[in-house]
Amino acid sequence: MTNTGNAIEVSDLSFAYGDIQAVDGVSFSVAPGEILGFLGPNGAGKSTTIKMLTGQLRPDSGSISVLGMTMPAQTLDIQARIGVCFEEKNLYENMSGKENLDFFARLYGIKGRDFDPFLRKVGLIDRADDRVATYSKGMRQRLMMTRAMINDPDILFLDEPTDGLDPVSSQAVRNVIKAEAERGAAVILTTHDMHEADQLSDRVAFINEGRIAALDTSDNLKLEYGQRTVRIRSRNGGDVDVRVISLDESNAGDQIREAVAVEGLMTIHTEEATLEDIFIKLTGRGLDA
Amino acid sequence: MNATKAWHIMRKELRMGPRSPLFLYALVLPVVMTFIIVGVFGSLFAPSPRLGIVDEGNSAVVPAAQELDGIEVTTMASIDTLKSMVEANDLDAGLVLSDGFDSAVRDGTRPPLVFYVGGESLASNRIILQVTALDLVRQVTGEPAPVAVDIVTIGDAEAVPIATRMVPLLMMYAVAIAGAFVPAASIVEEKEKGTINSVLVTPATVTDFLAGKAGLGIVLAMATGIITLLLNNAFGNHPFTLTLALLVAAVMMAEIGLILGIFAKDSNMLFALMKSGGVLLFYPVVFYIWPSLPQWIAKIAPTYWFLQPIFEVGVKDASFGDVWGQLVIAMVWIIVLIPAVRAMSKRLERQVAVSA
Repeated sequence: MTNTGNAIEVSDLSFAYGDIQAVDGVSFSVAPGEILGFLGPNGAGKSTTIKMLTGQLRPDSGSISVLGMTMPAQTLDIQARIGVCFEEKNLYENMSGKENLDFFARLYGIKGRDFDPFLRKVGLIDRADDRVATYSKGMRQRLMMTRAMINDPDILFLDEPTDGLDPVSSQAVRNVIKAEAERGAAVILTTHDMHEADQLSDRVAFINEGRIAALDTSDNLKLEYGQRTVRIRSRNGGDVDVRVISLDESNAGDQIREAVAVEGLMTIHTEEATLEDIFIKLTGRGLDA
Repeated sequence: MNATKAWHIMRKELRMGPRSPLFLYALVLPVVMTFIIVGVFGSLFAPSPRLGIVDEGNSAVVPAAQELDGIEVTTMASIDTLKSMVEANDLDAGLVLSDGFDSAVRDGTRPPLVFYVGGESLASNRIILQVTALDLVRQVTGEPAPVAVDIVTIGDAEAVPIATRMVPLLMMYAVAIAGAFVPAASIVEEKEKGTINSVLVTPATVTDFLAGKAGLGIVLAMATGIITLLLNNAFGNHPFTLTLALLVAAVMMAEIGLILGIFAKDSNMLFALMKSGGVLLFYPVVFYIWPSLPQWIAKIAPTYWFLQPIFEVGVKDASFGDVWGQLVIAMVWIIVLIPAVRAMSKRLERQVAVSA
């Protein structure tokens, strides 16, 4: 595989657990500084793909190039330059936040690093010396994010990074993700949260039954697969009239002008398709399936 | 394998150990068991007989007494001090040697010998001290003993006290809990909590991870083994050979710990394995407690081949030349277990990869 300058290049990747084909011919690329949303229901093949990209699983076929290196031949070199934040809160609970970071930093060959800037960024500086067992779910998640960044990774793999967090913690995590992308890190964001994917991702990939069903910017996906409509409600005597006008129709402008010209106009709403609508349209199943 | 990463993993375990009940249990168990067994069968708490002497002249009895093994001798200037120490049970008995005592004994004038005995002292210690004192005085005369003492051993001359025969049991507990169970439980905990997943996406490999856990088991087993032998007065006179035998024991136990830790899906399964499989590791100790049992059965177990050299060197004062063959067999067992550990490490990689 030639080096294209992309942080990740995946071509025709496949993996099966016994008779179950978990990943089936997946190809995609991620550029440095890009956030790629990886969307799909449970069992779609997201986690298996990430495991192959992070060196936990060997693909049955296909090729993976990460930062110009080949997986699995250069797994350890690649792992030195990636950060992974798991959905499961797999921290050492009888160690403090700082001790957790120090341990993982040493595994990356980093000694004597000042963790305070990291901890300050995620709002954990005051609890850094407390045992993780005493942390709330949000604090653990923020520490997981910090752990994933401890080696200044060129690629971040984030699995449901805001799952179950309160709005403040979620926003803190989102800010960190954006900052990492601005720093130049490629980010693969695995999530069920379509709104979050829409907010954060430069592009989104819909994974279903081990295949990529669609991969593009969310705007393009909405344009391509969504139904763009305007819903206009107006009062007509004692009744309420509702008109739904498709923006894709050639005379949409005329129809809207006519609809808003009537007396008793109540509301006008654009009805842009959500990523979830598009996913259902593409796959015939919801994300929670 | 990357030794630095393995060291960091082991270092983390050792630093966090005091926060783990199991780790503390592994360290404390052999000490507690030693105190129980020696307390029941032995004489750990029975002090040596303590004799105080006030020498008002320059008696030859004093240096002769000080050379005796197994008796603590204290000299002092004042009879009052001697009496108060005996009364306070700081001494079992006190002896006052008057000025010119030795010459009076040699002249046959039978000088008075005052012997203070503490009321709270052990009767056995009093008897030992009285007999010893009389023997020391007799030596002053320079005459041979009036009788020839013939010591006849009743029963098996090779037999060792029951407390000593318990040493292999204590050793097995020490090295099995610390060397095998602690690393096995640590591996299981990492699997259950998913922390191993986070380690294995760093540049640390499964081999580094297992080497760190094995290192933990080896260090702990060595430490608890040495503590156990010292507490049981069973360190012998060949510390290098004994340390080598302990190292062999620790490595074998660590290998078994890795296999168990990887094989067990969860803590319950690990406890079940240790309880059932532990019999296969522990049964040779029965043959030390009851030496009349056919010893060849003990030799089937791999653990026999490190227990026997530890027992021989620590208790019977054997040297390296006496036990090297047994150590070689133990090392062969260690080599035989290596492929099993390697196969299990592959299994661990698969377990981690397919876990959530």
